[in-house]
Amino acid sequence: MAAGPFGTRRTRRLIPWASIAIPGIGWLLFGLYPSLATVGYSFTQYSGLPGTPLNVCGLCNYTAAFTSLSAQVWESLQVTLVYVVGVTVLQNVAGLGLALLLNRPGRSYTVYRALIFMPQIFSVAVVGAVFALILDPFTGPAATAWKALFGSTTAFLGDSSLALPLVMLVNIWMFAGYSMLIYIAGLRNIPKPVYEAAALDGAGRWRAFLHVTWPLLAPATTVNVFLTAMGALGEYALILVLTGGNFGTKTLGLYMFESAFGGNSQLGYGSMLAMLQFLLTLAIGGTLLFTLRRREIQL
Amino acid sequence: MRTNPLRAGTRNLLCFGIAALLFAAPLVYLFLQAFKTFTGFLQDPTGLPHPWTLENFGAAWTQGDFGRQMLNSLVYAVVPDTVTLILGVFLAFPVSRGYFRRSNAVYAFFVFSGFLPGGLIPLFIEAQALGLYNSMPGYLILTSLSGAGFFFFVGYIKGIPREIDEAAALDGCGYVRFIFTIIIPQMKPALATFAIFGFVHAWNNLILPLVMLSDQKLWPVTRGLYSFFGEHTQNWPLIAAGTFIVAAPILLLFVALQRHLVEGVAGGAAFGTQGVAVPAEPGEAR
Repeated sequence: MAAGPFGTRRTRRLIPWASIAIPGIGWLLFGLYPSLATVGYSFTQYSGLPGTPLNVCGLCNYTAAFTSLSAQVWESLQVTLVYVVGVTVLQNVAGLGLALLLNRPGRSYTVYRALIFMPQIFSVAVVGAVFALILDPFTGPAATAWKALFGSTTAFLGDSSLALPLVMLVNIWMFAGYSMLIYIAGLRNIPKPVYEAAALDGAGRWRAFLHVTWPLLAPATTVNVFLTAMGALGEYALILVLTGGNFGTKTLGLYMFESAFGGNSQLGYGSMLAMLQFLLTLAIGGTLLFTLRRREIQL
Repeated sequence: MRTNPLRAGTRNLLCFGIAALLFAAPLVYLFLQAFKTFTGFLQDPTGLPHPWTLENFGAAWTQGDFGRQMLNSLVYAVVPDTVTLILGVFLAFPVSRGYFRRSNAVYAFFVFSGFLPGGLIPLFIEAQALGLYNSMPGYLILTSLSGAGFFFFVGYIKGIPREIDEAAALDGCGYVRFIFTIIIPQMKPALATFAIFGFVHAWNNLILPLVMLSDQKLWPVTRGLYSFFGEHTQNWPLIAAGTFIVAAPILLLFVALQRHLVEGVAGGAAFGTQGVAVPAEPGEAR
């Protein structure tokens, strides 16, 4: 059917098009065009300041990324990979552990689940303030605890060896509740009789988890791992608030943001970094989907 | 049946400990700081407030200009949320029904476009060129015309029987009236979920205001807090009060709708949809 039932004979074909026109044009202008234009701007040098020229310079930004600026690009690539792998693995372990613990009926568990889910509803500006306060090297409780444990002081988010793991932990703190809920949804989809059969076969607690829960949880794991990895890859607002990208926390996303909007206004170079980020997302996302789906079938 | 390695009481206590100490305590700790005087804080930074004071809330409210910014945030959250939902329905309905040629191709193209590079930088250049940069109407246009929620709605509308379209059209019901009086009321649960997540997402957004709004008078409250934080380094009681003011509306919303949000995701609402990672603003990297 190529036309809806609405309107007169003359307007029948037009109405569906009119219906999608405004959101469609808005999406073309502010959704599709900017995405595609990133490719174009990545071949230019442009500051965006009024009156400055836009220089088309071919592959200049890409050559710079692999020659004069390769140290910075390489470092941010490494930081990004550590961030994505660390957050994805730990957040899923935490989410699964919490799901196994908290998948119980009862009002108290409803409250606990809500509390664990809560951090992610706040803005990164709020979460950033909370952890800057707790991790303040002079007045924060973390400093007191550190002193009691190790007898020394540390700058926490201002320390190059601690900043990245701490930012990752804050990220996990914020979103572990979401992973937990997806795993709980998965657990609730596993039929009870399967466990009863396993118990009849003499499977203990651990073997029931290994041979029943874990394989049957595969769809939830797929969704969770994929969403966590993509989220961690795109995250830079939280890092911006916590460290400003200093002390070894500059992911590709943050490097892009800083190049374009951090005072230097290198919009062309930033677009090139957005392209690198895009290629990385494509590679990681594609690999994950392929392997996770295959794993679901095998299990 | 599964054997239970933890006694019910032990498990409950353990879960309470995790929820309270790991997840709630950081926020409670921040909240407590807001009741300290600055000297009281310096004397005992990690203890309970002594003496207690309410002055920080008033001071933060006036110094941070949070009153105006709250209002801005409300506008930036409510207007795009409402417009996006309505436009999303108008976009999703004919696509879902296949009421124009190649609607499947249009749908596939939309899905595909979600995997394109982030467009924040070109969006910034475009906003400047179109005069949408650093203006409230401009910001609202940028955030309202994205058609977010579209995928979610397409699937949902498929569940509404097609026969009512034809019946309504035979009775002479116009298209716009049909959408507003028949389709939108049918979609209430989907729209409510999306409205809540969209509101929270828009209220919390920091990156887009950082890029698009340079004039302090136009800032939403998250952008304001970000600067407030930098201006008052080390005056933690004042920062804590400001942070609490920014978080309070979202916290209230969460307490009121907690069951709907949390159990909605746990009940499987996340499968096949984007779940919480909902409407990415145009040009945002994620």
